[in-house]
Amino acid sequence: MTNRETILLVEDNPDEAELARLAFGRIEGDYDLHIVNTGEEAMRVLFAYGQCEESALGCKPALILLDIDLPRLSGFELLRQLRASADYQHTPVVFLTTSDESRDVARGYSLGVNSYLLKPLDFERFTELLQSVSNYWLKYNTRVH
Amino acid sequence: MSTTSDLRPAGPIVSAWKQIGQILRRQGIGQRLLFYIILFSSLVTLLATAVQLYTDYQRDVGQIKSRLADIESSYMASIGASLWNLDVNQLRLQLDGILHLPDIDAVAVYELSEGVDRPLSIVLGEFKKNQAIVREYAISRDFSGEMQQVGLLKVQASLQAVYARLWDKAIVILLSQGIKTFLVSLFILYVFYRLVTVHLGAIARHLAGYQVVEPGPALALQRKSRQPKDELDQVVDAFNQLTGNLEDAYQHMREINTALADDIIARREAEEEVKRLNAVLEERVIQRTAQLEAANRELASFCYSVSHDLRAPLRRIEGFRRILAEQLSAQGAAERSGHYLSRIETGTQEMNDMIDSFLQLSRSTQCELQVVSVDLSAIAESVLQELQQHEPQRRARFDVKPQVRVDGDRSLMTLLLRNLLHNAWKYSGKKDMAHIAFGFTQADNGSRTYYVSDQGDGFDMAYADRLFSPFNRLHTSEEFEGTGIGLATVQRIVARHGGRIWAEAEPGKGARFYFTLWDRNRDDKQGNDIAGGGQSG
Repeated sequence: MTNRETILLVEDNPDEAELARLAFGRIEGDYDLHIVNTGEEAMRVLFAYGQCEESALGCKPALILLDIDLPRLSGFELLRQLRASADYQHTPVVFLTTSDESRDVARGYSLGVNSYLLKPLDFERFTELLQSVSNYWLKYNTRVH
Repeated sequence: MSTTSDLRPAGPIVSAWKQIGQILRRQGIGQRLLFYIILFSSLVTLLATAVQLYTDYQRDVGQIKSRLADIESSYMASIGASLWNLDVNQLRLQLDGILHLPDIDAVAVYELSEGVDRPLSIVLGEFKKNQAIVREYAISRDFSGEMQQVGLLKVQASLQAVYARLWDKAIVILLSQGIKTFLVSLFILYVFYRLVTVHLGAIARHLAGYQVVEPGPALALQRKSRQPKDELDQVVDAFNQLTGNLEDAYQHMREINTALADDIIARREAEEEVKRLNAVLEERVIQRTAQLEAANRELASFCYSVSHDLRAPLRRIEGFRRILAEQLSAQGAAERSGHYLSRIETGTQEMNDMIDSFLQLSRSTQCELQVVSVDLSAIAESVLQELQQHEPQRRARFDVKPQVRVDGDRSLMTLLLRNLLHNAWKYSGKKDMAHIAFGFTQADNGSRTYYVSDQGDGFDMAYADRLFSPFNRLHTSEEFEGTGIGLATVQRIVARHGGRIWAEAEPGKGARFYFTLWDRNRDDKQGNDIAGGGQSG
C-alpha cells in the first residue's frame, strides 16, 4: 500500500469529468484521482481490489465522489450497494451534483451519504470546494481502519 | 232506533207517550226543560194560590168582623137591659142567640158593678187563645146623663172554619194546578220535542256522519217547509251553505294538493338531475384534479430538469470559459478576446440567476406550507444587514418596525421579504442614500397591511398591472439587473398565505409594496394579483 490515496470520481459526462480533472489538478494533496463514467464500471473497479495489479484502481479508494444522474445504475443505487457491502460500509462517499432538490438531498442522507455538495457555477469556487472536500475527508477526518 | 219510525201515527197518544218516556229517560234538553217548566209553574201556582188564599182569608175575617159589629149594634141594648135587671134567663137566651150565629163559638157576660158580692157571670162555649177573634164590649147605663159601665160582653169568633175552608181550597187549587202544570209541561215538552229536539238529533246525526270527502245528500229535515223560514230552517240552510263552502274549499285544496304533488315530483326530478349533474361534476373535478396533479408532477419534474439539466451544461460553459480565459491571459492574447469571454461569463451568470429564480417561483407554488409564527422583523433585519455587507460602500438608512410576527411558512416568508428588500435595495442603487422601510399599518378592524418601501427609482403606475407576472420587467437590464421572476414569486407566496399584494410608486420617488396575509373575505377582491393603482391606500 502506497502513501498516496485514491479518490474515485463517478461522472458520466466527459466534459464534467475533464473539468473535475482540471480542478483536481490545481489542488494540493497526495492522492490519485480515478474517474469512471458509469455506475457499472465503478462497481467493477471497486470490487476488483483483490487483483490490485490488474485493476486500473491502485487500491481501495479513500473517498468516493458520486454524481447522482448516472445512466442505468444511478448514484443512489450505487451508494446503496456500497453501504450494503462490508468493504465500503464506512468509506466516505460524497454526492457532487447540480441539483439541490430537497427530495434528493434527503434521499442521499437516508442512504448514508457523508456529504451532499452542490457544484458552484464558478470554476474557481469549484476548485476551492474540491480542495476542502479532499482535505476534510483525507486529512482531517478520522477513518475506520 | 230511529225517530222517524216512532213518529208513525199508530196510536198518536201512545206513540207520544212513549216518546215522552224516552225524552224523560234521556239526559237531555227535554229533561231540563221539564224540570224548569215544572219548577217555574209550581212557583207561579204557589204564589197565585197564596194570593187567592190571602184574599179569601181577608174576606172571611171581614165577614166575621162585620158580624161582630152587627152583634154590638143589635144585642148590646137588650143585653145591657137584661144585665141591669139581672134577668139571667133572658141573658142566657140572648147569649145563646149570639152563639148560634155563624163562626161564633164562645160568648160571655160579666157584671162589673161595684160593691156586688157575687157579680153575675155567664159563659157559653169555650174561650181559646188561638185561631179566634175575641171582642169585648163595655155594657153601660145612662145614669141621669152620665154613662157608667156596668158589665162586659165578651164574644169569641172562631177562625177554625175559616182555616178549614182555606185548607180545603188550598188542597184543591194545588192539586188541580199541579196536575195542570204537569200536563201542560208534558205537552210543551212533547211539542218542543216534535218541533226542535227531534230535528236537532237529526242534524247532530247528519253532522256526525258528515264526511267532506263523500258529502252525500244535503241536510234536510223531515217536516213541512214553512214560509218564512224558522230558526231550524236557517240552521239547516247555514249548515248546507257551510258544507258547500267546505266542499268547495276541499276541492280547491285537492286541486292545490295535486298541483303540489306534481310540483314535488318535478322538484324531485330536478333534484335527481342536480345530483346526477353533481356526480358528473364531481367526476370531472376528480379528473381535473388528477390532471392537475399530473401537470403539477410534470412541472415538478420539469423544474428538476431545469435545476439539473440546464445548470450542468451552464457550469461546464463557465468552467471551460474560465480555463480558456486563463490560458488566453497567459498567452497574452488580445484584449478583445478577454472582453468576449467576460461577456460569456455575464451571460452564464444571468442564466444561472434565472434558473435559481425559476426554481424559487416553482417551489413557492408547490411546496407544502408549514405555518408557524415567524418574526418578519428579524428576517428583514438580517436580509438588510446582508445587503449592506455585500455593498459596504453604499449609504443606507433602514427603518424596520420591531417584533412584527405573522403566522406563515418560514422559508416562504423569508423568500418574500428577501425578494421585496432586494428589489428595494436594487432600485435605490442610483440614490446617494437608500432609505428602506418595513412595517405595517393597522385598520380599525384590526387587519394589518404590511409594507416594504424605498425611496428609489420607482416606476410608472401605468405598468403596475404587469408588475407581478413572470418575466415582465419594468426596467432594462442596463438600468437594473434582474430576472423578472422575483415579484411573481412574491405574489404567489402572498396568495398562498391568503393575502393580496399591490404596489404604489412614482418614477424617481420610490415604490411601496403592500401585502396582506390571511384575509377573511376575499370574495369582493377576487384579484389577489395585479391590484395596481385601483387599490391605492
